[in-house]
Amino acid sequence: MNRETGLLAATGIFGAALALSWFTQGTGVVRDDPAKQIAIPKQLTAPLQVKAAYNGSDIFFRYRWPSPNPGIFHDVLKFEGGKWVVRGSAVPGSQPDGLHEDRVSMMVDDGSVPDFGRYGGYVTVGRRLAGFTDEVSGKEVAAHPYLGGKLKLDEPTKYLPSTRKSLENWADLAPEDEQKALRAAGYFLDLWHWRANRSNPIGLADDQHVAEGRLSDSGKSPYATNWDGGKQQPRFMFDSAKAGRAALRWEDIIAGKIGQDDTYFLRVDQAKPFDPNAGWIEGDTLPRRSLAMSDGSRGDIKVAGKSRWDNGFWDVTLQRKMDTGNPTDDKIFRDRGVYQAAFAIHRQATGGRWHMVTLPVSLGLGRQAELEAVRFNGETPNWEQPWRTVTLFYPGQVNWALLNSTKHAGAAQVKAGVPVKHRHSEAQLANYGIEVEFNYAIRRQWLFTMFGGVLLIAAFGIALNMLSSRKRSA
Amino acid sequence: MAAYHVVLVHFPMALWMTAALAILIRAFSSSALALSIDRALTPLLFLGFLSGAAAFAVGLMVWPWEAVSSSPLGRNHALLAAWTLAYWTLMMITRWLHGEAVWHGLMRFVMAGLALIGAGLLGITGTLGGHLIGVYTDVSEVLRRLGWEVYRTFYLPDTTLIALAAATVLLLAIGWWGRKSQAA
Repeated sequence: MNRETGLLAATGIFGAALALSWFTQGTGVVRDDPAKQIAIPKQLTAPLQVKAAYNGSDIFFRYRWPSPNPGIFHDVLKFEGGKWVVRGSAVPGSQPDGLHEDRVSMMVDDGSVPDFGRYGGYVTVGRRLAGFTDEVSGKEVAAHPYLGGKLKLDEPTKYLPSTRKSLENWADLAPEDEQKALRAAGYFLDLWHWRANRSNPIGLADDQHVAEGRLSDSGKSPYATNWDGGKQQPRFMFDSAKAGRAALRWEDIIAGKIGQDDTYFLRVDQAKPFDPNAGWIEGDTLPRRSLAMSDGSRGDIKVAGKSRWDNGFWDVTLQRKMDTGNPTDDKIFRDRGVYQAAFAIHRQATGGRWHMVTLPVSLGLGRQAELEAVRFNGETPNWEQPWRTVTLFYPGQVNWALLNSTKHAGAAQVKAGVPVKHRHSEAQLANYGIEVEFNYAIRRQWLFTMFGGVLLIAAFGIALNMLSSRKRSA
Repeated sequence: MAAYHVVLVHFPMALWMTAALAILIRAFSSSALALSIDRALTPLLFLGFLSGAAAFAVGLMVWPWEAVSSSPLGRNHALLAAWTLAYWTLMMITRWLHGEAVWHGLMRFVMAGLALIGAGLLGITGTLGGHLIGVYTDVSEVLRRLGWEVYRTFYLPDTTLIALAAATVLLLAIGWWGRKSQAA
């Protein structure tokens, strides 16, 4: 081998190392890990189309988003081996049997939570929420005197930052009189929560809000758990005279044979008390949730018309009184008012934090805004206005404390009130959300990569110089 | 320090890009013009090294290390900047040690290839810096189409790192062999 051959070999090795680096970069770290509550969706962004309209007494929101199939089932009770077992409990990512309902939700503010208009749902995400790798246990929350004792929360939910004394500590709540004062000042987010299984069949969306936690408005819930713990059996079964059957069949559910027009839900007015001697056979299945009309503030949001899945898309319209008379858990809409809204969907049998969210948009009632609610006369809008398309993205495990910490290069901008969309796109945020879930492992590989690359360049330089003839000149 | 970094980076970018052009011209021409340009190459590379090292050092002070090492774009910018500085330092040392000999035989084409890679590294580093201040070009879209999403950290799996280590050792061995054969 002569020196020219050596030069060629060195150049080839250097080039091959660069090519290998290019083609293998970004691999080997990011992978699903259910033990750490990690499940990365294959698609990181999706479109959501929205329209809004109002007639002076009611406000309507219409949502349309892609979903490969209608997720109309939630958890169920399956008769298996002589007893009733729960199937379809939440898991990280998609529930393998497809048993988690599709949802669309919307958080709304009237300017009382200023950071919400700039950062959207990020302001509600504290450290160690449900579904995070380091989540607080439900027992810890239930044992908390205020969150568990008074608010009856049993999992670490969203909350607004000023309800805590510190961004770092989910349990360090501001005093109760401070909470009351904040609430009276409008420091909460209204949460509209349409559920394909637990609210849609009775023509409702769940009316909730976010303040010290994710809380339900006062009044009766549209759903209850269909389980009698004492007797270890369901509370209700279908009334076959009204529903056409006593139970569903597991194989029909899994095969997708039960559609939107079938009885896939258990309304208490179509049900009767469970009879353990009704001749149950292996595979008989009952919904784990029973449905009944809400009352009070919780029942404020109705489904307008019929919410339907068709040809790969959900089309859902919700309707609510502009002024519900409940100003401490609903945002009151006024003609010519400007509000802030952020949206989220669950699809493909996901629950909890495995949703896709949007950045906040301004909402104007007869005012110029990113989403303009159009005034109309009559009972129902004609929806002639064009859709407003917003981008949904997977948010990962990014939390508000992190965004305000020295780990976030933009923390100073957050403190200065620079809106997130001024610096980040949804695609960028989705990718960042994934990186945060693997932060330590990725940082380690990145450091090795940086130093490995510098050493490779140095070695190539040494080889190049040793292989070349030295001949100094000007 | 961000404003100082932004000011400083223009110097190595201009100097190294000019150096890349000078190398390409000299690699493919021995005209009087090419020879004149080549005479300016070592000073260009030296000034590029000084200003590049200064920009790199100031760049590390823009954000706390914790922030840079936690941000995908911060990581990528730091990684590419480190590689670019190392790479152009290699070019400077090579040209300085070997003088006009780098334009003889196969070496001139190696220099031309290295200049193109160096310009590419510099361009990517600059693009990533632009992303960090919210002003960027479509270079990132080109990189995306070539397989690298710039909003994800550029890191290598363990197997590739091992291959890189092996390549490093192999390159040193080839260099050692070259020195030995030169001495013989």
